[in-house]
Amino acid sequence: MKMPRISGFLAWGYAALLVIPFYYLVISSLKENDDIFTNPLSLPSTWDFGNYREAISSAELVPAVANSVIVTGLALALTLLLAVPAAFALSRATGRAGRLVEATFSLGFLIPTFAALFPTFLLAAFTGLFHTRTFLVFLLPATAMPLAVIILTQFMRTIPRELEEAASMDGASTLTILRHVHLPICVPGIATVVLLCFLSFWNEYLYSLIIIGPDPAQRTIQVALPTLQLTTGTDYGVLMAGTVFTLLPVFAVYAVTQRQMQKALVSGAVKG
Amino acid sequence: MSEPFSRRTLLTAGGAAAALMSLSGCGAVQALRPASGGADTLVVHSQFNGAVAGADVFRAIVEQYRKNTGRSVATLSNGNDLPIVFETSVLAGKEADIAIVNMMGKTLAWTGADATVPVEKFLQPWGLAERIEPGAIEEWTTPEGHLRAFPYTRTNWPVAFNHRLLEEAGVEIPLTSEELINAADALRSKGVGPVSIGGGDWSGQKLFIQIIQSYLTADEAAEVFASGAFSSSPGAMAGIKHFAELRDAGVFVDSAQGFTSDSMLTQYNTGEAAIMSSMSSALAKVPAERAAETTIGGWPVPPQAVSTKPTVIQSFNGMGVWISENGAEKLDLVEPFVQWLFSEEVITQFVLESGRDMNALTHVTSQDFPLVAQAQALAAGDTVDPVILPDLLIPEAVFEPLTQATARAFGPGTSPEEIVEVLEASYKNA
Repeated sequence: MKMPRISGFLAWGYAALLVIPFYYLVISSLKENDDIFTNPLSLPSTWDFGNYREAISSAELVPAVANSVIVTGLALALTLLLAVPAAFALSRATGRAGRLVEATFSLGFLIPTFAALFPTFLLAAFTGLFHTRTFLVFLLPATAMPLAVIILTQFMRTIPRELEEAASMDGASTLTILRHVHLPICVPGIATVVLLCFLSFWNEYLYSLIIIGPDPAQRTIQVALPTLQLTTGTDYGVLMAGTVFTLLPVFAVYAVTQRQMQKALVSGAVKG
Repeated sequence: MSEPFSRRTLLTAGGAAAALMSLSGCGAVQALRPASGGADTLVVHSQFNGAVAGADVFRAIVEQYRKNTGRSVATLSNGNDLPIVFETSVLAGKEADIAIVNMMGKTLAWTGADATVPVEKFLQPWGLAERIEPGAIEEWTTPEGHLRAFPYTRTNWPVAFNHRLLEEAGVEIPLTSEELINAADALRSKGVGPVSIGGGDWSGQKLFIQIIQSYLTADEAAEVFASGAFSSSPGAMAGIKHFAELRDAGVFVDSAQGFTSDSMLTQYNTGEAAIMSSMSSALAKVPAERAAETTIGGWPVPPQAVSTKPTVIQSFNGMGVWISENGAEKLDLVEPFVQWLFSEEVITQFVLESGRDMNALTHVTSQDFPLVAQAQALAAGDTVDPVILPDLLIPEAVFEPLTQATARAFGPGTSPEEIVEVLEASYKNA
């Protein structure tokens, strides 16, 4: 059987392509510049975590991570709070209005991030929330709603109506049906939305830079990290250490949600 | 059927979320409290942050000021993105009272656009006229006669020669182009790279500009870099031809057009290359072992050049202390802080502990940064000719295209005519 061998080889090759940059990132975070440039792929001669200490202290990464967690966590909670009922309603809607609302959500994909920057800035200034984390907590769910609603709506459409009807006959309210029938079945879809939105919110740079601003007590990790890059003489070991530090929460979230996300992908494939 | 998320996972996640929400709400974590923008607080927005040379000193002197005076100072920080963040803050009326930032690109328009206030009227009353280099005041003054900001740090751009590697190759520190070409041959025969340069970024742009300035007077240089009319200047044309001769003679390390300032510094620090043109803040990053075998000098003199001595780029440009419209309403808070920044005590700390070149008059020289001290002594002596740093002359929109054009110039096989064509195109298309 040659095909499985070839596909196995390709899969391992692809995995290596993904692992090598990560390996380079991690080992470089333990080296000095000279070593990074002269022996890029070799293991560090000493296992010194000084670069991590330097990155965390000079870029004030601890409050930056805390701010990112606050903004991302609250924005995620708000996204789910709004997207789940919206998707439930749209998945059950049969009329023209429902289709129109769903199409309106889809239109959100057409707005380029950069184009919305200036109106968003004006809104932040008008509401008095410029240079606050609060504005971003409200803004990020708005940017994620199209994706979250579309994914969850498709998921909820796969749930047989008979389940809902049976629950109704047992006296369940609409909210009860959503909570006890739809939500448990939609967990893979919710996990997918959580992961995608988490990545988008965590990595957001432009709005965090402009709206939250330069206060080290408020800025997010994506704004703090570039302060480790200099015009000349960047210490790449320290920069890599800072990057690894910012990636840790991403891995943690992926570890928690990956099983559900895989389920969501596989269930889609089987139902094909 | 297993639970999609275990109860423990959900409880942990919920607990973590609740704890995080309380962080900002109950004020348990002082570090996450926003800097106050109140009337009694001075807000300072600076590029002294992260790993920038002098960031530690800046943090220390601000803390010292707080302790000495009991006044409240909030510090905000950004890197190269400071200008755009400051400008949007100005639009919202929430800009910092003081900005400490480079004079280049966007910041050149701040005084004319009333984003910051001219500071010439504060020089005498605040006692700073005698503290700052007169040349710096001149360079930081607009054509309309307004001082944009108080000039704080400056730029000194000499050439570092590894005399051990040169001696091992049997040559001395080159003072002329002919000697430089001979040195490059000798170094290459020993397997050592000659002149290391970040041909792909601003460091290559600066060296290219420095080389062609050997054939230009200061006035001609100012005109050429402001207009981009290279082909109508005989001096600029001679300089470009000479640059191509040096490149074709193998003076620059191989593939220089693909390197950056960081790779240049690494090549020099690791002994892979024996020569680099470097600004003084980069000299502060040369390790002690390499610094001990380094001599600071100027760029070798070409034949029939205008300059008669090796050249060094010198400029009073660097970070300045800008006062915003908000700051102008809090002058009682701004004045003592700016005076503190220019005090002998603070300037000494910057020179000794960060290796920075300062625009404030001082007799203190860098001790822990010997190459910076050598560069300062070189600039003060008469063995080199200064050439200009044309950052204030090159239009902002041209800056990046010009760097791409000079990167092309470092590429092998690009003729002087092609170099002129891409240089002029970078001005015309911007």
